Amino acid sequence: MAEPGVISEYLERLAKALDFDPALSRRVRREVEDHLREAVAADPTGDGREAERRAVAKFGDPHIIATHFAVVSLGKQARRVGFAAMVAIAVAFIAMKARLGWYALMECPTGPMGTLGEALVSIDRCAFWVAVLSGTVGWIYIDRRRIPTTLTPEYGAQLHRFVLLSWATIAALMASVISDGVLTAIRLVAAPWSFDAMIPLASMLIELLCAGMLLVSIRDMTQRTASTGRAARTA
Amino acid sequence: MLKGHLDMIVLAALSAGPAHGYAVIEEIKRRSAGAFDLPEGTIYPVLHRLEQAGLLAGRWVTADSGRRRRVYTITKRGQRELDERQAVWEQFSDAIRSLTKGRRPWRNPA
Repeated sequence: MAEPGVISEYLERLAKALDFDPALSRRVRREVEDHLREAVAADPTGDGREAERRAVAKFGDPHIIATHFAVVSLGKQARRVGFAAMVAIAVAFIAMKARLGWYALMECPTGPMGTLGEALVSIDRCAFWVAVLSGTVGWIYIDRRRIPTTLTPEYGAQLHRFVLLSWATIAALMASVISDGVLTAIRLVAAPWSFDAMIPLASMLIELLCAGMLLVSIRDMTQRTASTGRAARTA
Repeated sequence: MLKGHLDMIVLAALSAGPAHGYAVIEEIKRRSAGAFDLPEGTIYPVLHRLEQAGLLAGRWVTADSGRRRRVYTITKRGQRELDERQAVWEQFSDAIRSLTKGRRPWRNPA
């Protein structure tokens, strides 16, 4: 059986250490392979296997390199989450406005819906503006932070603040979407069932999907922040 | 100390023209006369981060060997950033030189 090359083995270890970001892992693997092959070609000894060992040793520990990439990747992910929050809020707003427009077009009664209805409208409005405010602050905040070479305590604290802002955003957005959902249900239950009801239901589904996707991406980012912090401490 | 200036070192190496990771490292070694012999793998996260920040632009090309390689070019924003960092560094370096050689106080201690 042929002995695996030193470079191939090293690339496997590096790719595995980078498996937290499959696209990054593929790109880095390809880039590093080119580097190592070039280093071997430039080695003056001409001893292939020894040259491979030297190239790999000079390149460094794959886990330490992966830790540096993890910080870059986490910074990018945080910026994506900041942008995704703004998109989710905008889509939820459009869906809500489209639903109200539909009610107006269909001349659905929009009169008083009792104390519960009024309370829900207040919660919806207030929670939505809280989501807009915390989402905007979070997005601008993380977008203006410079991603460092390693996870410095300062950048760790900045990420922590952004994670808290993101959770505040999703909590407020969820409160707004849920109160919107209850309001829609009250309105639909009161009216006789028809195919027209699919429009407000579809708009509610869009709002729920947006909030759900944002929740998942914030949860992933929180987990990545914690795991990158642990890896940086042990590297 | 070197860690805090890696961005400037990489940008300076690329100010001479587009290069791939291996060539960037060789250029750093050559220009520093071997003083900056870094663990080579530490340069790649820096290249990725600078590209992400818009200070470098990267593109895949096919080398003579037939391998695909990523070539980085300094952007206008990257060049501005390098000029700013160089100015700060030169000011700092002058101040330290004045201090250690016991000359008159420097003009701007920042």
